[in-house]
Amino acid sequence: MSLVVLNAVRAGVVALAFAVPTVAVATWTGSAGERVHDDQAAASAETSGKVPTASASDVGYCSPELKRILRRVLQSCGLIGDEGVRGCQPVQAKSVATMSGSDFNALFRPMKDRGGIIEFDKAKADLSEEDAALIDKIFSDQRGASYFFVVSRASPEGSVERNRELSKQRAEAVMAHLRQTFNDPDLDKEVGLLWLGEEFAQLEQEFCEWRRSGDPAQCKAELINRSAFIAWIDCTL
Amino acid sequence: MQRKPHLFTVLVLAGAALGLFFAGFSTYDFARHLDRQVHAVNCSFIPGLAATDARSDCHVTMMSHYSSVMRDVVWGGIPISLPAMSVFAFLLLFTIELCITRRQEDHRATAFLALAALLPAAASIIMAIIAFSKLDAACKLCIGIYFSSALTLLGALCMWRRAEQARRADELGRLSQDGDPREPLAERSNPFAATAAVPPDDDRRLRAQVHARGAAPVGMGYLAAAFGLGVLLVAVPAAAYVALAPDHSVFIGACGDLVEDKDAYNVMVPFDRHQGGVPTVEVLDPLCPSCRAFERRLEASGLRDQLDRSAILFPLDKECNWMVDDRKHPGACAVSEAVLCAGEHAGEVVEWAFGAQDEIRASAEKSDDGARALARDRFPDLARCIGSAGAKSKLNKSLRWAVRNQLPVLTPQLYVAGVKLCDEDIDLGMEFALSRMIERARAGTLKKRGAK
Repeated sequence: MSLVVLNAVRAGVVALAFAVPTVAVATWTGSAGERVHDDQAAASAETSGKVPTASASDVGYCSPELKRILRRVLQSCGLIGDEGVRGCQPVQAKSVATMSGSDFNALFRPMKDRGGIIEFDKAKADLSEEDAALIDKIFSDQRGASYFFVVSRASPEGSVERNRELSKQRAEAVMAHLRQTFNDPDLDKEVGLLWLGEEFAQLEQEFCEWRRSGDPAQCKAELINRSAFIAWIDCTL
Repeated sequence: MQRKPHLFTVLVLAGAALGLFFAGFSTYDFARHLDRQVHAVNCSFIPGLAATDARSDCHVTMMSHYSSVMRDVVWGGIPISLPAMSVFAFLLLFTIELCITRRQEDHRATAFLALAALLPAAASIIMAIIAFSKLDAACKLCIGIYFSSALTLLGALCMWRRAEQARRADELGRLSQDGDPREPLAERSNPFAATAAVPPDDDRRLRAQVHARGAAPVGMGYLAAAFGLGVLLVAVPAAAYVALAPDHSVFIGACGDLVEDKDAYNVMVPFDRHQGGVPTVEVLDPLCPSCRAFERRLEASGLRDQLDRSAILFPLDKECNWMVDDRKHPGACAVSEAVLCAGEHAGEVVEWAFGAQDEIRASAEKSDDGARALARDRFPDLARCIGSAGAKSKLNKSLRWAVRNQLPVLTPQLYVAGVKLCDEDIDLGMEFALSRMIERARAGTLKKRGAK
């Protein structure tokens, strides 16, 4: 091999040694750069489509009909819309719901796993330890629910006015307990109080199967209606 | 001497070519990620032919802090496989040079080759120790590079030894002209002759090689030029990489921010506080492996001390998080309760959870009670609080804080002065993006999109 050819081969090898890594790197980085600039918009859209955004629960039972009624009740009771109104008068609840008592109760049936019944002593609005424990257990299990309903009632003994007042006191007792126990800045925006007295939507026997704070062995109509029904509602409005 | 490569030379050529091949694939995989997307990584002894994998040990190694250098200068840094690729290319080049210039028995040139081959071998030993001790990852592509380095070094050392023997034979050849010509050359020349006597046939062969030599030993100038060429061979591709890598600084601050960074629910826990650090919120799941990996990278980056971090708990477990459909990280809700209960000591609970993730997740497969029991055992002072209604409610508020801020359902997320570190910058590009965000936050130029 002549010296010229030898040196040409050597130069070729050196050039190749430089070219292989340099050209490869230039190709790879250049290609990545093109993909970044060309596909960024599409990639962003794809990524944002892939990753869901944190949101409140809106479960299967939240039908348009249910939402419509909930919205009316919530607006009437001051949970959405104008602030400063808390609780609904029984007549108001009945009028905004525009339905029978049993239909009203039926709205809450799907929430069996999310609610419970706080049973009070006759003519009383004080919470026992068992009552407080059940409230805490249910309220602390908010998950993605946006609204907590407290629907208090009274059994038919006594006057309508007394029972209306008694059911209001029961709802307020639950609210006071929540305020005292949970330092929750959203409390006034998420807890709705409805006191129904004895006039509307008395609980039927089927609600005996719900979680209750009273004696599990005893469940009569008058017992479960001396109560505050509480439940988280997993619907967004 | 002939140009035909000796067996030892073939070893070096094969080792260097293999090293170039493996390091090339590794660099290719790394460079592909410069487009900010997730890609599968070659992780096989036959890269390019075997299926790629997005969650292999090679992926773990590549995403680790040790896979590249100068990460704060260029996004992702310069992969160490790139200089490795250049060094193997140089070793290949130099060995071919020795062949075509008939210097396979040149003791200086082969010594230089052996020294050069020490570089990838030493780097391989260091990287292997890191991979097995710190990353607990057996990356097949890396093992390919380790093997190539060893093969190259072995071949180079054998070449050098053979050249040394030839040199001594050459020297003794000259001496023997004044001594007893019947005395075997190798016996007089070889200081180890008592234990490694060269048979007469080998002796003749060595003499023949000495006489067949076609080139004079290389001078120091030649070696200096070779060294310079090697340095250039490393520098040029690295410079090309830095110059041609996409500019990722345009994405900083463009990936969202906190709508409401106030802690109205009092659910932010002091996680890693540093006085004077940039206020930062991390959305984390204590049982999320990515959060743990992020924490390790942050620690290794040296940027941790510049952040004043609070944490928002966001467990990816449907036991408490209605936003996920499954128990992605069983036990995460229970451990998150423990973190919230710990208050000022939240960081200790998170550190424990990061260290025992597998054990905690296994204990919570059936229910969270197992994870709660582990947390109570480890932190007896928090036993009453863990699992309490108050802790559950607080955890729920933490999740609702995420709802109020309309955060993506994923962890980890880092908000520096309310501005999100892009998800694409969480791993490879962390040092690049985070160091710039800290700098801008300190200068007051890191603004939320909605801010004026």
